Amino acid sequence: MAQTSQGKPRRVLGGLAFLFILLGLYFALIEAPPDAYQGEVQRIMYLHIPSILTAYLSFLIVFIGSCLFLWKRERRDDILAHSAAEIGVLFTGLTIIEGSIWGKPTWGVWWTWDARLTLTAILFLIFVGYLMLRSLVEDEDRAAICSAVLGIVGFIDIPLIHMSVYWWRTLHQPPSILRPDKLPWENIHPSMLIALSINFVAFVLLYFYLLSLRFRLGEMEEEAKRLKLYGGSAKLTAMSMSNGGA
Amino acid sequence: MEIVRQIAWLLWKDLLLETRRRESLLAMFFFGTLLLFVFHFAIEIPPDRAAEMAPGLLSLAFVFTGTLGLTQLFQAERENHCLEALLLCPMDRGALYLAKLLFNFLLMLLIESVVFPLFWILFNLSSWGRLPHLLGVTLLGTIGFCALGTLFSAATLRARARELLLPLVLLPLMIPVLLATIRGMEIVLRGGESYELLPWLRLLIGFDVIFTTVGFLIFEWVVEA
Amino acid sequence: MGPWGFVFLAYGVVWGALLLYLALLKRRRRKAEADLSRLGDGP
Repeated sequence: MAQTSQGKPRRVLGGLAFLFILLGLYFALIEAPPDAYQGEVQRIMYLHIPSILTAYLSFLIVFIGSCLFLWKRERRDDILAHSAAEIGVLFTGLTIIEGSIWGKPTWGVWWTWDARLTLTAILFLIFVGYLMLRSLVEDEDRAAICSAVLGIVGFIDIPLIHMSVYWWRTLHQPPSILRPDKLPWENIHPSMLIALSINFVAFVLLYFYLLSLRFRLGEMEEEAKRLKLYGGSAKLTAMSMSNGGA
Repeated sequence: MEIVRQIAWLLWKDLLLETRRRESLLAMFFFGTLLLFVFHFAIEIPPDRAAEMAPGLLSLAFVFTGTLGLTQLFQAERENHCLEALLLCPMDRGALYLAKLLFNFLLMLLIESVVFPLFWILFNLSSWGRLPHLLGVTLLGTIGFCALGTLFSAATLRARARELLLPLVLLPLMIPVLLATIRGMEIVLRGGESYELLPWLRLLIGFDVIFTTVGFLIFEWVVEA
Repeated sequence: MGPWGFVFLAYGVVWGALLLYLALLKRRRRKAEADLSRLGDGP
């Protein structure tokens, strides 16, 4: 049937993701050694770094989808951007929570206005703005166009936001601030690097799995909306599109 | 050049409307002043620290006042299908964007020129000589604010909860401008070296150029949607 | 709360949230499938 054959690569992806997640958990929690300074708490890094990288990946996909949509006006690019934004807001929010939980035993506080946490919070707010813009703008086509504009503007703004926040933070504080998530690449223990890489792969696989699920869902919801609007005549189109229907 | 004529004409129209009805300018001015009062009640500003806190407080006041102006920006066009009429004219959409940007910029410039000295008087500050430089830094920030603000004011034109949505979308994007303007003003006030100020100024100018260009190119899709 | 407490808190929140989102997606998908089949066979 049409839907099952469409779903096969996605299921493979999901299966792979699941495998790597389990592997990643094993390496992060058991195999990797505790950090010399931070102890066990440092294991949160195996969540935090993949999370934040996936959040930025999400934003990149929002940007690409938005550009493609404004250029070609194909519905699927808009659905791609919307899906990536939804999952992006999730991963960004989780990154903030992870950073906060990591910070409490390390710095003693649940929140600090250091560059990284602040930047992640700003990224989160931009994603939220994107989703709110989508849902509050009246006409659907207009909503798609305006959120595409935001997707593009936001992406271009990110390097500027990075610069301004980093300058703000580093010019005010002595450079010897101990940042728990600073990566000492030369000194990193090989099994930590392995654990990090495996978890990174796991997150990326999971991300694309969720994205493809959400994208397919978006297409289906779009189709349902079209059918509702155009009624019977759409039935013929739908049938011809799915090779003879159910 | 044709486009410069269009911009001038559109700008003239808006300025004429404003001088006749005086809706936005007065409201923005009083709102900005009101904010300064409210800040003073909310945050005890000790007299010796007023100069330190001036950049932050003033920038906040201008951001909120500016947002007010932005929600009003296309108000005239919403009535009587003026926007559709404008779009029917064979005019570069970018001209409309730049005209609106300039209009909002001029309003904010006027208000900033008055509110700055007012703040100095209200909080008994002495560094009057610095005011032109402070205004210069603020000017650069205001351009960036108007560049993105005009774009999103048009984008949210027919959105629900527009007065909330516009700042929600705009403010996170404005953070570089906010940071650069405030740090820049701080450096000017304490008489810092130009090598400290330069990176922030470059950031502001870069922001302004990038987003005015982006806005100019993208505006037609936003307004015709 | 000991160090492992924080670790499990972080991992718990993250994987819990991701599983919740997955469940949410599946639920929406079932609804969309139901809608589509209903509309497809409709008038």
